This record gives sequence, structure tokens and C-alpha cells, in this order.
Amino acid sequence: MLRQAAISILVAALALSASARTRPHYGGTLRVEVEGDPWQRPGGMARRLVMDGLTTLDPDGAVQPALAIRWASENDDHRWQFWLRPGVRFQNDAALTGAAVEASLTASCGASCPWSVVHAVGASLVFTGDSPMPNLPALLADDLYLIGTPTDSPAGLTGTGPFALSGDLGNHNHARVLANENCWRGRPFLDAIEITGSRSIRDQWLDLSVGRADLVEVPAEQMRQARDQRLTVIASPPVSLLALSLSDSGALANPNLRAALALAVDRTALSNVIFQKQGEITASLLPASLTGYAFLFPADRDLDKAHELRGGVTPPTLTLAAEGGAAMQLAAQRIALNLHDAGFSVQVVNAAAPQHIDLTLRRFTLESSQPQAGMESILRAAGLAVSIRAQTPAELYKTEREIVDAHLLIPLLYLPRAFAVSGRVRDLRLGADGTPLLAGVSLSDIQPEAAP
Amino acid sequence: MNLRQKLLLLLSLMVAMIVAAVAWTVLVRIRMVFEQRDQEETALFVSQFQREFQHRSAEVAAAVDRIAASEHMRSIAFALAQSSDPSPYLTEAQTLAQDAQLDFLEIVGPDEKIVSSAQWPARFGYFEPFAWDDQPTFLKTEDLPDGSSALALFASRAAGRSESATAEPVRLLGGKRLDRSFLADLPVAPGMQISLYRAADQSPSTEQPHLGPDFTSFDPKRMISAAGDVPNASRYESLIHSAWNSGQQTSSILYLTSRREDSVNATAIPLKSNTGAVLAVLTVAVSRSGMVQAQQHIRAIAYGVAAGGILLAILASLWIAARVSRPIEQLALAAEQVASGIWDTHVPDHGRDEISALARSFNHMTGELVAQRDRLVQTERVAAWRELARRLAHELKNPLFPLQLTVENLIRGRELPAAEFDEVFRESTQTLGMEIANLKTIIGRFSDFSRMPQPQLERIDAGEAMRRVAQLYFPSAPRGTRAPAGEAVPAEKITCRLEIASPPLFINVDPELLHRALSNLVLNAMDAMPDGGTLTLSAQSKGEAVELRIVDTGTGLTPEECERLFTPYYTTKQHGTGLGLAIVQSVIADHHGAIAVESSTGGGAAFIITLPRAEECTS
Repeated sequence: MLRQAAISILVAALALSASARTRPHYGGTLRVEVEGDPWQRPGGMARRLVMDGLTTLDPDGAVQPALAIRWASENDDHRWQFWLRPGVRFQNDAALTGAAVEASLTASCGASCPWSVVHAVGASLVFTGDSPMPNLPALLADDLYLIGTPTDSPAGLTGTGPFALSGDLGNHNHARVLANENCWRGRPFLDAIEITGSRSIRDQWLDLSVGRADLVEVPAEQMRQARDQRLTVIASPPVSLLALSLSDSGALANPNLRAALALAVDRTALSNVIFQKQGEITASLLPASLTGYAFLFPADRDLDKAHELRGGVTPPTLTLAAEGGAAMQLAAQRIALNLHDAGFSVQVVNAAAPQHIDLTLRRFTLESSQPQAGMESILRAAGLAVSIRAQTPAELYKTEREIVDAHLLIPLLYLPRAFAVSGRVRDLRLGADGTPLLAGVSLSDIQPEAAP
Repeated sequence: MNLRQKLLLLLSLMVAMIVAAVAWTVLVRIRMVFEQRDQEETALFVSQFQREFQHRSAEVAAAVDRIAASEHMRSIAFALAQSSDPSPYLTEAQTLAQDAQLDFLEIVGPDEKIVSSAQWPARFGYFEPFAWDDQPTFLKTEDLPDGSSALALFASRAAGRSESATAEPVRLLGGKRLDRSFLADLPVAPGMQISLYRAADQSPSTEQPHLGPDFTSFDPKRMISAAGDVPNASRYESLIHSAWNSGQQTSSILYLTSRREDSVNATAIPLKSNTGAVLAVLTVAVSRSGMVQAQQHIRAIAYGVAAGGILLAILASLWIAARVSRPIEQLALAAEQVASGIWDTHVPDHGRDEISALARSFNHMTGELVAQRDRLVQTERVAAWRELARRLAHELKNPLFPLQLTVENLIRGRELPAAEFDEVFRESTQTLGMEIANLKTIIGRFSDFSRMPQPQLERIDAGEAMRRVAQLYFPSAPRGTRAPAGEAVPAEKITCRLEIASPPLFINVDPELLHRALSNLVLNAMDAMPDGGTLTLSAQSKGEAVELRIVDTGTGLTPEECERLFTPYYTTKQHGTGLGLAIVQSVIADHHGAIAVESSTGGGAAFIITLPRAEECTS
């Protein structure tokens, strides 16, 4: 009896302590290191911490209300109206108004907005477009359309997000944000987040290993290596499309040549070797997980067909540039070799070169798990402004087929986004586009304040 | 060309030839010495290059060996053999190459495909045909991602092979560039320039990777040296082309610019792959500026010496001319003057040498000539006066004796009766008159000789003048007609022949003086043929002159008589004044002609008168 009571007391104590560890605590500073600029699009982490959009995507990619609580379309999606959430204030205590939202949206995209006109109507905004905008709610979740407003504070920018900018906005190598006590979502668990940019992957991992960083980046091609080094890696589904963007002028004005280029690329070598089998070979714009018909787009290399389509024509030397780091440059060189095997002469150049560039190896982020919105965001990012109105998978496939067969955008791989975290980071989740959702993160080594 | 000029030319040529011969010999020797030195330097460099090349090869081989033998490489090889998944080792070659300080490194899997490449990471999965087992180091042109290529020394080793393993091993192919740093490490002598020429970049050929590049168009930009680009690289084209195509070391002299000082002794050494294909050409250029400068210096000295020698030759020739040729010229001029009749010519006779002695001898000669001439003239004058006096005495004595007798007869006849005295008086006065006329004739002749009249020139036909004389003494000759040439005109014992040329032979003479001269000659000829003979009178043209000949077949004249024949008062006749031929000579001389005699004892005599022909009358 006594023995049973002792065991019960012991079990209860353990249960209590366990429950105490699983409950997040407020406080602490999360230290994040990235290779790029924390403010730079796409995927600049600091932007989403400071600003909100009218809509947002949940981790499953579904559109959720954010600063807009509801919306409706009219006139076959030519006109949309979004009602603002009431009672929301900027971090400088200014009220969120339609005018402020209108000004922010106009400043974000300028003349290349998917809508023709946006204007505030009371506490709502009306979007009007010359062409239908069926995916506008999902598009507005993009970090291009986050709502912010300049201020006279030293930070220079204020938003409605869970964190407020602290420090000089001009310092793109370092961003420090402080918890917004009055956030409409509620105060975040963390007191502050420090994001250090322009940090090499090697240095990030080193800082993580010595405890100077809590969250660092893991490029897809180094995921295996990270796991071999026993880092705690969190990876998203394949949300980053690696694709060749082709020019339709100059030597590549001939569609047959573009088709030959598409057939000459060896996706298998890119996926298996350069990206260490972390990628998903694709010849379609959307991943198989979204559409289910990706297998209908053949991804195998066919050099014979490529030679046949080239037809003995020897085009002038094509220029190929890659946006990104070492892996992208290596992939570009590999693609140049593949194209050389097909009889093309390709010169890999710097992306910043002033000359005309025929092929560009780029990454496009799948912003939404909705196929239409996702495709539209990819095409918009590739400079192919197409409004996707397909309603059914068949229509979507047909639309995608037409786009892919034009060979202005050659999908190659889908890659995940991954991050390595320290042991103190809790509750880190990745968004639909693979961006870490830092607002809900807490630190495990924060001791709760003792009761008075 | 006078003696001075000949001396100058001779001395100058001697100096120039001697200097040229010496300078040429020195220049040739200098060139030989420098070329030999250049060859030795080049040979030394080639041996040093080969040592350096071997040293670099050994370095590469050792580095690759170290990598191949390393534990890390063994584990990679084992893993590749087990899983054949090369993806985890994509970047291994870069790391290994960096650690081993190699410029190039490739890990080649058992399937001969590249697992990892340090120089071209994207080439994974492509075949690497040059990864053989444990081959000696070899040269290879390695293609690079930017389209260029690099020449490098490579070594191939098997890595991680187990003795019991039957599968193909993993191979390593590592190399180091042969670039400017390699050239900078080579030991270079002063004045020597080393450069490396590589073929044009070519894309990798998997079909025939062992064939080297062909020598296409020469690109000066592909020629590098330790300091960077090679100036005037295009001048090396022919040498490099020759070495490339022949595959043999080739040497020649190259002129990098238009200046000889910039020429070099260049040697091209082809660098070959292990299959014998030429991949690059190493050129060694030794500057010839030292030799050229030395040659130029020698030439300048030679020119200076030659110029100085010629100047000395000029001075010597001038001195010699002053000492030798001028006195000789003066002697020659003086001799000419003497020959022209100016006998009192003197030349300077300063000094004691042979020329001065000759000059003194000449002066003595001319002095003696003048003195002898004077004496001769004096003697001849005395002799002529004596002869004149003798002749005059003789001539005057002849008529004076009868005059004396006649006067004595008159004196004696005064004693005679008047009739006899009248007879005697008449005979004596007649004799006196005759002898006084004779005296007057004799004195008239002397007077004529002393007072020869000036000739009154007229244009006459010389042939006609000869006929007139012949007509005078041989009247049977037809008058007023031209006797045919060679027609004889017999007159008693003497036969007169006329040989007159057909065209008129016009001369400008005083007809009377010429007639008197010809008459004198005819009379002398007739006197020379007391027993008869043939007198030939001829007139013919002799170029610009007319020749009149009076030829007899008389007793002839001795050479002494020929010499003195025209001397006044010299005569061979008992009753001659000796002035006839002198007058004839004077007349001929007054007509600017000449008279000569040709004779031999018993062979007759020929008097030849030469007179200038009159100009053609144009009117």
C-alpha cells in the first residue's frame, strides 16, 4: 500500500514536471542567421515578423484572414472587396485604415500590380482589374503585399505584425525586432528576435553548434550533410521550384530550339548529385503533391530528340546565368554541359552582367497550396503575367500544358526549404512556402517568473 | 689619271681592304663566340628546364600519391565500391586539391566516370579517359568551365585498391598548371626570355581525346611569359609553327623589331603529351643585343680606322705627289717646252733625292743645250760668215782678177800705138763691163737673200705652177694644156716627167716666189744630172696639204749634205753662192710650208715641198 502510494506520488510528480516543460514560456531572444538579407524578398524573415498582409496562408497553404476579415468578388472576379479587421493599430499606435492599406499596396507593386485599381472604401478596399483575378486572396498573402507604413522613428517602418522593428532599417545585415505587446494576434512568446544576414552556411552551422545561433538555414543540397552532422533539421515539402527561364528573343525566338533545350537537360544528375537527392524531379510547374498529374510531363532527357529539334542549326553562343549561391552556379554549369552535348554553345555568365541573358536558372517559391494561386504566383514571379482561371484539374492541366509547351519556363526540380534549430527552440513550424513561422516560437530554456 | 690620283686610290684601297679584312674577321669571330655562348646557355637552360619539369612532375606525382594513400581517400574508394553512389563526394576533389595544393584533381569512379572534379565540378558523371593506373606524369590540356583550357602536368594513381579486390579501383587524376608561375620558377640567365605558347582552346573531345590540337592560326595572345604578355609575339610564329609541326627542337634567329639589337637566338622546344602530340611550345630567346652592339662597335671602329687611313692616304698621296709627281710633272712640262724649242727651261731642284738629282741633271742639260745651241749658232754664224766670206772672196775674186788684168792691159796698152790701144781699150772695156755685171749679179743675189720680199698670196693651181716650170726648162712640153699624169717631156739628155693629179690643187702662194723656188730646184736637179737622167715633177694632194716633188736621178746627196743643204752659203757647186736652197727654204717657210730632201749617194734626190691647201672657194 505504502509502496503503491509512493509510486503514485512519484508518477504524479513526473507528470507535473512533464506538463510544466511542454507549456511554452514568454521571454527570450531567438537568434536567427541567414545567408541573404533578412529584409529582401522573397522570404525575408523580418518582413513577416513586422508586417501582416490582408490575407495569410496557413501551414497547409489555405488562405486565411489576416488584416482583412472577409472578402468577396464580383463581376467574374474582376472586382474584389476586402473588409479590414477593426481595431488594428500599427506599432506606432496609428490606426489601420483603408487609406493606409491602399497606400502600402500601391507602393508595393507600382505599375505591375495584378489589379488595375485599388481604392479604399471606408474600412474596406476595392480591387478592380481589367482581367479576372480569381486568385487575388491567395496573391495578397504574398510578402510583396504586406502592409506597412513609413514612420519618422529611427526604424523608419512600422507594421501590424507581432514584432516591431528596432534599430536602423538600412542595416541589412542585422535586424532586431521586439515583441509587439499590442499585436492583434496577441503577444508572441519571444521578447525579441535577432536576425543576422550575410552569414555563410558554414558560419551559421558553426554558430549553431557553439550556441551562438538558434535557427540557421540548411540548403537542400546540404540536408544530408546536416543530418550527418546531427543537426536538428526541419524541412518543408518541396516548395521551391528550380527552373530555367528562357528569353523569347534573339537566338531563342525559335520555339524548336527552346524545346530542344528542354529535352537536353539532365534533371536526374541535378537532383541526385548536385542537390543530393533532396529534390523532386519535375517537368511541370506544380508539384505532383498538388496536382497529381505531374507524371504527364516527361522529365527524361532525350538527346536524340533534342538534336532532331535543333535541326542541324548551330545557334550563336547562348548566355546562361544563375541566381543564387554555389549550388545554383554548379547547376548552371551542369546545364551548360548538358546543352553542349545537344550541340548548343553556352557560356555561363554573371547574373549582374549588363549583356542580354538567354537562359536564367532561378528559384520560384510556391506561395500557395492552391494550384491556381500557386501557378499564378510562379508565373508572375517569372514575368509571365497569366491569370489562371482553371476550375477543374483538367482545365488546370490544359493550362499548364500550354504554358510548359511554350518552353519559356522549363521546370527542373522541386526542392524543400530546410532549417536547423538548436535544442532551445520549440514549436517551430514552416509555412506553406517553407518560411519559418517565428511568431509562434518559444524557447525552452526560459524559466517562468516566480509567483509574487 | 695622274700619279697623285693613282697613289691616292692605291693607298686608299690598301687601307680599306686591310681594315675590311680585319674587321670582317673580327666580326665573324665575335658572332661565332656569341652564338656558341648562346647555344651553351640554351642547352644549359634546356637541361635545367628538364630538371625543373621532372621536379614538378615528381611533386605532382607525390601529391597524388599522398591523396591516394590517405585514409580519407581509401574510405571514399571503399564507399564508392560498395554503393556506387557518387553524390556524397561531389565536392571532395576541391577540398583534396586545396589541401594538396594541386590545381586540378578528379576522382574517377570504377566506371571511369568522374565522381568529383576540382576544376570543373559540373563534369561529374562524364567519362575521364586520362585516368590510367599509375602512369608516369604526362602533359595534358585541361578544359575549363569558362571555355578556356590550361596546360598542366598530370599524374594518375589508383586509390584505395585492395590486393584482393577484383573490381576496378577508384582513380585519381591530379595536376598542376604550367603557367606563369612555372615559368617564373625556371632559372633564367640575364638576357634570356622564356615564353610558352599553347594551342587554341578546344572543347573536350571524347572520341579522340589522345590527339593533340592542330596548329591552326597563330594567336599572339596565347603566348605567355613569366612577366605577362610577350611583346612582338607574332615574330615567333614561324619558329613555333616549325617546331609544332615537326615535333623537334628548332632554332633560328628572330628579328623582333626592325632594329638588329632586338634580334634574338630563339629555340623552340615542343612539349608533348604521352602520346607524342604537341601540346605547347616552350621558346627560349637569348638576346643578341650584346653581340650586335659589339659588332656595331667593331664596325664603328673599323669605319673610323678606315676613314683615318684614307685620310692618311690622302695626306700621304699629297706628300708623295708633292715630293715626286710634281717634280716629275714639272720635268715633263719642261721637256715639252724644250721640245717646242724653249731650251732655256729650268725646273726646281730642291732637295737631295733622286728627283732632285734628275731635276738638276735636266737643268744642266738644258743649260748645256742652250750653250751648245748658242755656240752652234755662233759657230754656224762664224762658219756661215767664213763661208760667205770665202764665197764672196771666191766669187768676187773671179771677176776681180780679169778686172785687174784688164786694167793692167790698159796700162800697158797705153804704150801701144793708138790703133792698137783702141783695140785694147775696146776689148778691155768690154771685159770690164762684163765682169762688173757679173759682180753686180753676185752682189744682187746676196742682196736678194738678205732682203726677201713679202709674198703676195694668190690662189693658184699647184699643178699649173709645176707645168709652168716644166715649160720653162722643157719648152717642148705642150703649153696651156694639162699634161696627162706621167707624161714625159724629153729635153736633150734629161727627160722631164710630169705627174700632176687631176683635180686642181689650189694653194695660196706668191706665184713668182714659188716659181723662183721651183726653178731653183729644177736647175739644181738638172745640174745634178750632167750626163742626163730623168726629172720627175709631181703634184698631189696629201690630206689638207699639197705635196710638190722634184725628183732627179742624179748623183744624190750624202746624209751630211742633206743636213746642211738648206744652210745659207752652203753649196756643193764650184760656182754656187750657196743661197739658192736657203732662199727656197725661206720662200716655202714664208708660205707656211715645209721642204725636205730625200736622197742617197748615187740614188738621186727628191725635194719635197709641202704647202697647205687653199680653202674651197664657195662663191
